[in-house]
Amino acid sequence: MIKTRNGLEQGSVRNMLYFLCALPVWAITAGATETSRDPETGLESWQVETRGIQVRLTQISPDQARAFYQARGFTPEQTEDYASSCVFMTVVRNIGTLPIEHRLADWRYVAGDGMARALRSKAEWDATWVDRGVSEPARIAFAWAQFPATQTFHAGDWNQGMTTYQLPRGSRFNLIVNWRAGDAGRKTTLENVRCTDDIQ
Amino acid sequence: MTFSSMMGALLMTMGMTAFAADLPALSHSLTEQAANAPAPVLALKDLDGQLHDLASLKGKVVLINFWATWCPPCRREMPSMDRLARKLAGTPFVVLAVDIGEDADTIHTFISQLDATPSFPILLDPHARIMQTWKISGLPTTYLIDPQGRIAYSAVGGREFDHPDVERQVRALLKP
Repeated sequence: MIKTRNGLEQGSVRNMLYFLCALPVWAITAGATETSRDPETGLESWQVETRGIQVRLTQISPDQARAFYQARGFTPEQTEDYASSCVFMTVVRNIGTLPIEHRLADWRYVAGDGMARALRSKAEWDATWVDRGVSEPARIAFAWAQFPATQTFHAGDWNQGMTTYQLPRGSRFNLIVNWRAGDAGRKTTLENVRCTDDIQ
Repeated sequence: MTFSSMMGALLMTMGMTAFAADLPALSHSLTEQAANAPAPVLALKDLDGQLHDLASLKGKVVLINFWATWCPPCRREMPSMDRLARKLAGTPFVVLAVDIGEDADTIHTFISQLDATPSFPILLDPHARIMQTWKISGLPTTYLIDPQGRIAYSAVGGREFDHPDVERQVRALLKP
């Protein structure tokens, strides 16, 4: 078995990438948010499609987060800060005709306490990595693996990246997504999203 | 076995077409850039140390793909980019794949897992400096440069590059 410079097996990394991509059959629940669960991994996804945008969140387990970043040059200790967050693979796609633009700084998540929180930004994470002495290649990989702070999507464009939520394991929250389509500001909510448990 | 073929084989074995449909779908069209702005500078070395300068490719249609090995849609779209390059071999069409933030060893390891070595050069931008010049927010991002060196089309997110819609857009630029 081939191993990376960090000792992770190539197969493990490939399997982790598979988990990041593969999603199960969707089930429609109440409201606009669709949910699904991967029968193999138990990881859950939430998706909403409305007014020219599709937004999907898929749980990333702590072990997947550790494996991904250790394969990119983080030490096991350095990955713990990130793996202890709730991490989601986030996909945004323009399914309409107008260009759309999001600004992650405008997104909010609201948990049981009713407080609207901003997502931790790439810049905030990067300051942590600088303090912890994370190597430049690892920091570059980290930055590009996160969902972009802002981006314009023309018809058919899409992107995926990780977002983090500072909540305890198993917490539930609503994610309020703001974006612009042309000159109009728009908003939707992914409802009842759940942070993954430690063990899947 | 490539990542994408592994995925395909797995899905076929499971007989779950609906499952396959739930992967974030690769789009199959490029966005026209009406401004026709000149392409920024791009001069990088490939895995063999050979310099590739976009400025020297005037007169050709150039597809520039920014990617990384850890980026799932980048890995999924790469075989289709290779198929398009092979299909248009013999025409003034050039593909340049610019890897962001990784070293040659990492890329070689990835290539060794592919069924066939890509027919196009893979350029290295280990410090991700060119991304600022090209104002790229996420990977993969692709640009199609016309023979005059202008940005004719762009694509954010994974594409099926050998889809007839994309091939038609490329061939239109190849017409004299």
